[in-house]
Amino acid sequence: MSDSLTSNDFDAIVIGAGNAGLTAATALQRGGAKTLLLERHNIPGGCATSFVRGEFEFEVALHQLSGLGTEDKPFIMRKIFGELGVMDKVEFVQEHELYRMAVKDEFDITLPASWTGIRNVLIENFPAEEAGIKTFMTLCEQVTMESFMGLPMARKMNSEEMLMKNCKNYAEHGLRDAKSVLDEHFESEQLKTLLAAYWCYLGMPPKDINFCDLAVMLYAYGVFKPWHIKGGSQALSSALLESFLEAGGEVRFNCSVERIVTDQSGDKPTVKGIVTEFGEEISTGQVISNASTVVTFGDLLDTPVMPEGISKDFKSRDIGTSAFCLYLGMDKTPEQLGIKNASTFLSQTMDEELMHDTMSTMNPPVATMLTCYNVDDPSFAPPGKSQISLLCLQYGSVWEDIPVEKYAETKYAFAEHLLNQAEEFFPGFRASIEEVEVATPLTMMRYLNTPGGAIYGFQQNPEDGPLHRPRYDDVNGLHIAGSWQGMGGFQPTYMVGTSTAQAIVKKLKKQRSAEAAKKEMGVANV
Amino acid sequence: MSNSNELLKNIVGYWDGVERKQAREQVGTDFSEQKGKTASDIAKLHPKRLQLTVSEIFQDTPSTKTFRLVQSKQSLVNKPLPPFQAGQYINLYTTIDGVETARPYAISSCPTHREYYDLTVKIVDGGFVTNYLLGDEVKVGQEFSSTSPMGTFYHNPIFHGDDLVFLAGGSGGAPARSMIESALNRDSNINFHLVYGNSYENDVIFQDTFRELADKYDNFQLSEVISRPTEGYEGLTGHLSKELITELTGDASSKTFYICGPTPFNDYCVEQLKALGVEDKRMRIECNGPPKKPSCLDGWPEVVSEVDEVTVTVKGRGQFVAQAGEPLLNSLERNGYTVENACRSGECSLCRVKVLSGEVFNPPESLLRKSDKDFGWVHSCVAFPTTDIEILY
Ligand SMILES: Cc1cc2nc3c(=O)[nH]c(=O)nc-3n(C[C@H](O)[C@H](O)[C@H](O)COP(=O)(O)OP(=O)(O)OC[C@H]3O[C@@H](n4cnc5c(N)ncnc54)[C@H](O)[C@@H]3O)c2cc1C
Ligand SMILES: Cc1cc2nc3c(=O)[nH]c(=O)nc-3n(C[C@H](O)[C@H](O)[C@H](O)COP(=O)(O)OP(=O)(O)OC[C@H]3O[C@@H](n4cnc5c(N)ncnc54)[C@H](O)[C@@H]3O)c2cc1C
Ligand code: FES
Repeated sequence: MSDSLTSNDFDAIVIGAGNAGLTAATALQRGGAKTLLLERHNIPGGCATSFVRGEFEFEVALHQLSGLGTEDKPFIMRKIFGELGVMDKVEFVQEHELYRMAVKDEFDITLPASWTGIRNVLIENFPAEEAGIKTFMTLCEQVTMESFMGLPMARKMNSEEMLMKNCKNYAEHGLRDAKSVLDEHFESEQLKTLLAAYWCYLGMPPKDINFCDLAVMLYAYGVFKPWHIKGGSQALSSALLESFLEAGGEVRFNCSVERIVTDQSGDKPTVKGIVTEFGEEISTGQVISNASTVVTFGDLLDTPVMPEGISKDFKSRDIGTSAFCLYLGMDKTPEQLGIKNASTFLSQTMDEELMHDTMSTMNPPVATMLTCYNVDDPSFAPPGKSQISLLCLQYGSVWEDIPVEKYAETKYAFAEHLLNQAEEFFPGFRASIEEVEVATPLTMMRYLNTPGGAIYGFQQNPEDGPLHRPRYDDVNGLHIAGSWQGMGGFQPTYMVGTSTAQAIVKKLKKQRSAEAAKKEMGVANV
Repeated sequence: MSNSNELLKNIVGYWDGVERKQAREQVGTDFSEQKGKTASDIAKLHPKRLQLTVSEIFQDTPSTKTFRLVQSKQSLVNKPLPPFQAGQYINLYTTIDGVETARPYAISSCPTHREYYDLTVKIVDGGFVTNYLLGDEVKVGQEFSSTSPMGTFYHNPIFHGDDLVFLAGGSGGAPARSMIESALNRDSNINFHLVYGNSYENDVIFQDTFRELADKYDNFQLSEVISRPTEGYEGLTGHLSKELITELTGDASSKTFYICGPTPFNDYCVEQLKALGVEDKRMRIECNGPPKKPSCLDGWPEVVSEVDEVTVTVKGRGQFVAQAGEPLLNSLERNGYTVENACRSGECSLCRVKVLSGEVFNPPESLLRKSDKDFGWVHSCVAFPTTDIEILY
């Protein structure tokens, strides 16, 4: 095709229109690479999507968007969305609280979305811990700043001196487990539980996550605020697609990729193209897969055996958590339901390990998360009504063995557990349901094509972060972008999609100028 | 890389991580045992397509036949089909006179018997697919492909309660049969009342089945209502008015109503129930195809008539002429364009296309997302082009 850089049909093909696929495709096309985006579902977004039932449009995944910052105090996502051409296509809504956390018979505290506000609330509730609170919060700030600035710089320069000078706090505490850092600062179990609530955005309990990940979340949400999007995360997915199309990109929905075709004559396989579910072969030199790595390397890649580097990496991996989620349309307002906060963590216990252990069983979950978008944005439901998502994390494996004929009844029975919890904190909850859709880990699997229905990619143990896991480069021209490369969640997947594309655009440009130079020389020789 | 590792060793905890990772490498799996598992796990519940063969055909009434469908593949014949919730439908694909199209049909058999799906099809006057299905051409042994079971019209135990009324009209008896039989099988706490409206007393689908169920189960009541009775007919007659509903089922306010029949029947029932003070959440209405007379709906441009001709351009592929009053999906299919679809009623969003220019009328059936409206995506099965348009899909 004439406008491609090479004789390939496309300069780049993106498999999957999740967050990372969409940002990658948009950045590629806007960067001048002729790009094809293929998605097996009928709509862009992956997790970042919505569906309509009756009068409600249900947000599937986004609870709190991080990394945006305010207009006065912008943060990285504002810049990225600007570069992707979507800032004027979506409307962001700021949430005013981080979260309310209510643990039965223990405490019920709401943290505001303000760094000093958080400090005041913590000191007010735990006056004896004032000193610890102050040092802990300072440490969170330092570790966050260092991980975004000092650390990448020190790594780039490969300088021990820079590391020890500019990333001292990170070097001392960043890769320690979050629990030990909390234990070191605080006496009160209540306070520790309250501050560790965001562990569920990573899927592993505080003893199994890096302190830096918890610190970054607390600081980023506290200072740069939690946000959601008018029309839900679907609106951002659709805006990205719009920007991609405006730049001349091509998209196909209801079109699954079945195979990644490679040339295996060299020492490393090299991407040649892909084959769709309809048997159509399309050529390209660059494939960006937003599908899970397990599917990409295990099912799609056409090499007879998996590349060694991948197989080694996989052996030290575990499939991450999925979620069980109720999408509820209520015929009452949040006030009538007694819901005052957009994000509420409800728990029966302060024992995070128990919470995590329960995730691999069909036992009633001991911790759930209730999100009511209408609190900050009444347009999320028709007047007088509200939309709620009630969720617990759960590993998909427990659902895979349920006989298919028992699936529906099992799902309704499990939903009862979550509803009982909600009813306990918000009496009258159940009687207000007007619509409900139940999503199990198998539902997530169906819509995302991830093993175990994983929503954050591989498990995020401390040794699974970017410092321990370099990017896969075992197949020339095959790039992984999404929660399976790095971290799950909205901000990380938007960022990894963009950065993956930027690197490819750079490479293609180099290739193009080299080819142009060659041609010129050729012409000169004639 | 190794240099950088050296650097990272200065970070407390880094080396422990490397060691843990190495230890896991020794014992872990590279997931090769998972090869194909995600796809096959998904396909157990929701295969994209089913290949089905007609194993039996029953003439239920003068206007209606039931087609029993089993898996086509020799190795799968009499093996269970994917599970479904009673009340759900499959979308059946056909090619008639060279036109590839499809229609959704409720599964009328019970989910407890999954070696087959029964589809019960009532003739529609002038209907493209029903005239083919009920004509002489379709015989035992014929193969069809379909979607897997879909749809949101079923008993949801979370909030529908135990006190249930089904208001069925004509072919609405199909999902009613599946829902009622499976509810009675499953749960003795459920009380189900079927109020079944039909035009003619000799054309009542599943009449015997329903009567037998009513004899067998104390918790199932059947009321048959005929709107065009012959002289001397002794049963209930007329429409399912609010008075009749109250007389038959008592206090309506705490019951959940399922409504399924032709669109005018559904609209009438909803109006009656609203007048009785039934809340929205207690009315579950099955979708029922595109509006037959879109020009009568609010928002249809006054200057446009349903027979006006418009040009539809499919970006990069070609163009054709269509009528404003015909759903876009139908005219696309007639002109050889294949668009994924299932509900053909505006609900499932499988048939999304983007309108690049021109105007399209979206009736209330079209359950569009906010962002679809913002960026010009429509559900083509219920979208009517009221000017020349260009679309992308
Ligand atoms: C219920 C729920 C709640 C969540 N809450 C939060 C939250 O509050 N905050 C947060 O930050 N994160 C949250 N997440 C996680 C976050 O949404 C995900 O980690 C992130 O969106 C994943 O993006 P991704 O780019 O990896 O791709 P995915 O969203 O996984 O998308 C991958 C896409 O690839 C497509 N695909 C796969 N295989 C193929 C193929 N062979 N051919 C073509 N297409 C293919 C899929 O259909 C899909 O569209 C939540 C997720 C869920 C489900
Ligand atoms: C979820 C669901 C479940 C269903 N379950 C059942 C079931 O169990 N049993 C059953 O019998 N049916 C069922 N239906 C209805 C079924 O899908 C078909 O709509 C029905 O069989 C008619 O199909 P047809 O091709 O014969 O008619 P169509 O050709 O689609 O025509 C339908 C009507 O529209 C008119 N029409 C056609 N084209 C136009 C046009 N261009 N302008 C104006 N009017 C036009 C026709 O004259 C006819 O009156 C279900 C529908 C849905 C949505
Ligand atoms: S086919 Fe379901 S919305 Fe059009």
